[in-house]
Amino acid sequence: MAALTDVQAPPRDRLSRARALHWALAAALVLASAASLEVGATDVRLSALLAKLVQGEALGQMERIVLLDIRLPRLAMGLLVGAALAVSGAVMQGLFRNPLADPGIVGVGAGAGLGAILAIVLGGLLPVWARDLAGNQLVPVAAFLGGWGSTLLLYRVATRGGRTSVATMLLAGIALGALAGALSGILVYIADDQQLRDLTFWGLGSLAGASWAKVAAAGPMIALALGAAVLLGRALNGLALGEATAAHIGIDVQRMKAVAILAVAGATGAAVAVSGGIGFVGIVVPHLLRLASGPDHRTLLPNAALLGATLLILADVIARVVIAPAELPIGIVTAILGAPVFLWILLRRRGLVDG
Amino acid sequence: MSLIAEAIRVRYGGREVLQGVDLAAEAGHVTAIVGPNGSGKSTLLGALTATLPHEGRVRLNGRDIAGMKPWELAAERAVLPQASRLAFPFRVLEVVRLGQQAGTAGDRPDVPLQALARVGLAHHADRTFQDLSGGEAQRVMLARVLAQVWAPVEEGRPRWLLLDEPVSSLDIAHQLQVMEIARRFARAGGGVIAVMHDLNLTALFADRVAVLAEGRLLATGTPRTVLTDTILSRAYGCALRVSAPPPEDVPYILPHAASA
Ligand SMILES: Nc1ncnc2c1ncn2[C@@H]1O[C@H](COP(=O)(O)OP(=O)(O)OP(=O)(O)O)[C@@H](O)[C@H]1O
Ligand SMILES: [Mg+2]
Repeated sequence: MAALTDVQAPPRDRLSRARALHWALAAALVLASAASLEVGATDVRLSALLAKLVQGEALGQMERIVLLDIRLPRLAMGLLVGAALAVSGAVMQGLFRNPLADPGIVGVGAGAGLGAILAIVLGGLLPVWARDLAGNQLVPVAAFLGGWGSTLLLYRVATRGGRTSVATMLLAGIALGALAGALSGILVYIADDQQLRDLTFWGLGSLAGASWAKVAAAGPMIALALGAAVLLGRALNGLALGEATAAHIGIDVQRMKAVAILAVAGATGAAVAVSGGIGFVGIVVPHLLRLASGPDHRTLLPNAALLGATLLILADVIARVVIAPAELPIGIVTAILGAPVFLWILLRRRGLVDG
Repeated sequence: MSLIAEAIRVRYGGREVLQGVDLAAEAGHVTAIVGPNGSGKSTLLGALTATLPHEGRVRLNGRDIAGMKPWELAAERAVLPQASRLAFPFRVLEVVRLGQQAGTAGDRPDVPLQALARVGLAHHADRTFQDLSGGEAQRVMLARVLAQVWAPVEEGRPRWLLLDEPVSSLDIAHQLQVMEIARRFARAGGGVIAVMHDLNLTALFADRVAVLAEGRLLATGTPRTVLTDTILSRAYGCALRVSAPPPEDVPYILPHAASA
């Protein structure tokens, strides 16, 4: 039986490590943001501008435009989108009780994309009052609805009596993604030239079209979704024990699931609406954080927002410098970095899919 | 104070798995539910814990559970499921904390380790739950449940432990240890309902026994009145004799003969 001496040695506490990590990640985000403002196609450097300001010189017209209207909105969008993708990945993994669930992989991103394309191509058919009412929220809201519908459908198909079949989830995700992709393809045929340009730009998964208008379009929904997601920490921890046990420890499981699905759809939808399909952030970020400081969602979710934002901003910096003055779509960068990590997760824990 | 279930009916598809079961459990007692596989024991526990849709009424300490919020229920009773799978690599101590946070002793930092010590696993506090053996995992889950209702009585109201086969994957020493924990919880004024397959342990530790067969209550009462040849033979569908030593020269080991 237990020796009483056992009780006196307190075990290492991962919660305090996760909280320390929080500050480290915040610092990393600041550094990544500075890097993002520093580099770009034009020879405008944040460091040089700061030096100028310190000496009391005024900024030139061009410098002003590059910094305030090109790089800063791009940074803001990278931050929003990175945080949204990472947090929606973490929430979805908690909801499906599986570290492989990610909106991009299981077709939710494609569903959101379909919603966005519908809004871009057919939005003109809406009555004027409806378009005025929706304003800049039309595309994000449509993407949110597409993401929401596909998450609900996926959850229905893959989850029976509170247990998710991983194989079903992944296969249903493939089917959903293919369907949404095909429908989007049809819409591309009926799009006019201007819409087509919008679509290609958007479909590559890129922050290149960043503007304050897009930040304003995606910002509110992402903020709302992240706020809701961060409140889910304790409930998602409980859900890790299974639906019945989550209820036994006092969690309103139905309400929690509804909020989680709305948060995933909101964050994914808004991110997809402004930046297209950027993959793997949602799966790599939570996985790294679980390795570093454990799976407690109360710290995982805020840390995922910070690390997701940091990594996406850095990926964007890479995308801008490797073939400068041209730039790579950021989706290519995240896939090249993220896909191997995904395979590595599978390799380490094959049981995830078979079990 | 008591946990009273009246006319519980549960249907799966068209099949009625519980056909009007009444059960009354008193705080201060260990109440055992026994019966063959598929007789509806876990289902009954599901109804008692408000996890399964059911007909009939369940009153916990005088309140109808239908009107209680999940967190109100969590403060009054803790539930050990028959099997648990954990989705993410939580550590043992973190799992116990999940239970503790649901109860009223949520802010006492010493409780999780004490709960682990009680099931003899304080030295495993730092390990990953998913790496534990089956029996160890079951005992950690019991520690989680204990941490949730740490005080058997609070403000004059008993707390309840609802345990679905708490000793099913334990060795004989740990079976005795766990049943002793249940008994002490009841002696301290709490209520315990345990689904049991081991009839010897039931005879030793239960104050009341309810026998379930094919979705109906076959008998209730003290172990002495319920654990009889007739009732057990009928419930399990095979001829059983109580307190009869084996005829041949085979060894038999009864928990009755163990001493700590
Ligand atoms: N989700 C379900 N859907 C359909 N039937 C179910 C479901 N859960 C249980 N049953 C059936 O209900 C009956 C009672 O099940 P229950 O789990 O309550 O049995 P039990 O007495 O706990 O058995 P055991 O001793 O094997 O744990 C069984 O016949 C079982 O097959
Ligand atoms: Mg059972």
